[in-house]
Amino acid sequence: MHLLLSGSPVREGCIMKKAKRKVSARQKRDWGFAYLYIAPLVIGLLIFYIWPFIQNIWFSFNDVNKFNMTTFVGLENYRKLFQDQDVLKAFGNTLKYVVITVPVGLILSIILAALLNTKIRGKSIYRTLYFLPAITMSAAVAMVWKWMFNEQMGVLNSALKVLGLPTHNWLTDSGTALYVIMLVGLWMSIGYNMVILLAGMQGISPSYYEAAAIDGGGAFAQFFHITVPLLSPTIFFVVITSVISGFQVFDVVYMMIGTTNPAFDDTQTVVSLFYREAFSYGHKGYAAAISILIFAVIMLVTLIQFIGQKKWVNYDD
Amino acid sequence: MKKFGRILAGGLAALTGAALLAGCGSSQATTSTDKASASGSATTAAASSGKQVSLSFGIWDENQRDAMQQMVDAYEKENPNVSITIQLTPYKGGEYWTKLEASASGGTAPDVFWINVLHMDSYQQGGILADLTDDIKSSDISTSFPETLVNNFVRGGKNYAVPKDFDTNALWYNKDLFDQAGVAYPTDDMSYDDLVNLCKELKDKLPDGVYPFACPVDFQTWYYQTIYANGGYIISQDGKSTGYDDPKTQEGIQCWIDLINDGYSPSAQTLSETGADAMFEGQQIAMNFAGSYMVPEYAENDTIKDKINCVEIPTFNGKNDNTINGLGFAVYSKSKNLAEAKKFAIWLGSQEAQDIQGKTGVVISARNDAQKDFAAANSQYNLAAYTNHVDDAYPLPVCVNAAELYDAESKWITKAYTGEMSLADACKSLKEEADPLLK
Repeated sequence: MHLLLSGSPVREGCIMKKAKRKVSARQKRDWGFAYLYIAPLVIGLLIFYIWPFIQNIWFSFNDVNKFNMTTFVGLENYRKLFQDQDVLKAFGNTLKYVVITVPVGLILSIILAALLNTKIRGKSIYRTLYFLPAITMSAAVAMVWKWMFNEQMGVLNSALKVLGLPTHNWLTDSGTALYVIMLVGLWMSIGYNMVILLAGMQGISPSYYEAAAIDGGGAFAQFFHITVPLLSPTIFFVVITSVISGFQVFDVVYMMIGTTNPAFDDTQTVVSLFYREAFSYGHKGYAAAISILIFAVIMLVTLIQFIGQKKWVNYDD
Repeated sequence: MKKFGRILAGGLAALTGAALLAGCGSSQATTSTDKASASGSATTAAASSGKQVSLSFGIWDENQRDAMQQMVDAYEKENPNVSITIQLTPYKGGEYWTKLEASASGGTAPDVFWINVLHMDSYQQGGILADLTDDIKSSDISTSFPETLVNNFVRGGKNYAVPKDFDTNALWYNKDLFDQAGVAYPTDDMSYDDLVNLCKELKDKLPDGVYPFACPVDFQTWYYQTIYANGGYIISQDGKSTGYDDPKTQEGIQCWIDLINDGYSPSAQTLSETGADAMFEGQQIAMNFAGSYMVPEYAENDTIKDKINCVEIPTFNGKNDNTINGLGFAVYSKSKNLAEAKKFAIWLGSQEAQDIQGKTGVVISARNDAQKDFAAANSQYNLAAYTNHVDDAYPLPVCVNAAELYDAESKWITKAYTGEMSLADACKSLKEEADPLLK
């Protein structure tokens, strides 16, 4: 209570308002309708997200077999988790994926957004083209890229052959397979991030640029001193969502890398490991523990980012 | 007016909620069921007999839907009170098993469904499979099927499934490529050494980029055959340890790695990406091993179907070697019509049913007197190669964690195929990882 009272004037104002508040019958009725309107979403969330999430936490302390027969094992799943080499390896691969794709994807999508924010011909066609991968089914995308990178009959190796360059087994060499997956992941996500950044750029008032132009600021100076700072809330949003989706990458890996692929070990992500344990091997309790660990890691990383944003995100208008 | 607006909005909200829930409920039920045929036969049955029973029949292969439907039609004709709906869920990506596991836990699994050896133990221990021992005893099944296939589905002295079909392997070759090279075709009585000599002879005579043979990391069609023929093993008699460290086991694997190292086969990397079957169909390899389930695909491929034929798998260590794997018809232990479901499952093992299945030529019917149907359905090929030595064929090793064991095996053995580590080292690591899976 003391803490609250000694807070900012805004906060005190809030508390005062709360104390004064009196609910009229009419307000109550309005609230009732408001709850009714959000009910479909809330009920959906409760049934399909919150309840399974709670169940999942419970499962992680149990041995759950294929047929959902559960036996309580306490922390056994977690003990196993921290000794499992596969988990370590999968987190390593995932981290590599995140550390490379997030910055590269961000830079590429800012550049694209900036280019498409200028006055060029056929702008909307380009915007549509860049956004298309984001709305294409990822399984189909992965299949097409898999063929393009195929060692025997892929278009990439055929092109290299024509140019007289050496060909490569891109998808089965553990040195290159993960990078191919990153490339496909980037290709699918850049368009989406670009559209969000573009919207952010269009929200920046032209008067800043006019003022800068009068003061003799060139295009680069304008970009780094106006666009980037004023775009920082949008950039922050893109970084947060890309990191989260980077930690959850699965579909492309699953579609492009089979179990007999020599690069299998070096491409498995945490979610593919989770999938394998839960649905191929039927170790649902252990898989639940893996998913809780993924959740904890994502939450921690996001928390750190939220603390860090104070240093670089500019919310002033 | 304002009030009306609110009511309308409230109603809409309720509707959306209902739609959301309904949408989720129905997605489970609509996976390719043969509603039309089921309701058609239901009317005739209701007209002719008293107690109406409807059964569901879970399968995973679209290529066999026709055969299964013919069997269902024949059964419904003989038993007008029964109507059967086929539920097809694709095998790919584990979809069939994921759905079956979820529905079995929820009490709504199909009454009769396909099962394979790989999933047999976990399903039996999960209490999903009905005990069919008495029903099989009072039928002719135990005397009319290969013993191996019946025993595939026996645990603790009890039968849990009626054998459906089986697959074995054969050596296929491309006659065109042999003719161009001027080399004589393979024969039924070859040994492994003859195969190696044939590869040697072919190697320089084949066009650029075409290999004599293919050795992918494949247990069932390649190295299990040679491991067993060589006296090696995967799982010990007592089921407590794996045999990867046995030199005889390793010799049965090494013989295929040697062929890659000698340049007679594409690399393991290439084969893991493009697949031996795809390369054979693309005429990039002259000879290939293929399971009987590949025959329909080969026979329908316009590029190669008139240029190919098959012979028996070459002997190894002086022994006929082949692996045999098969499916079975299992009955859901919590079926609401258990007696009728069992009756249908037993009928699926009858000569009539197995003949219907065999004559479609898609699979080899498990029943002794129906095995020949497979060769007859595609008489242009020497398909007897698949059935000549069924009695000597080795069943796949099984355990509760079979899926995990096979994954661990392919992971480590791949490292030996690619030359990343020696086979002995790979097998040592594999054994360390695999042994705990048997406990």
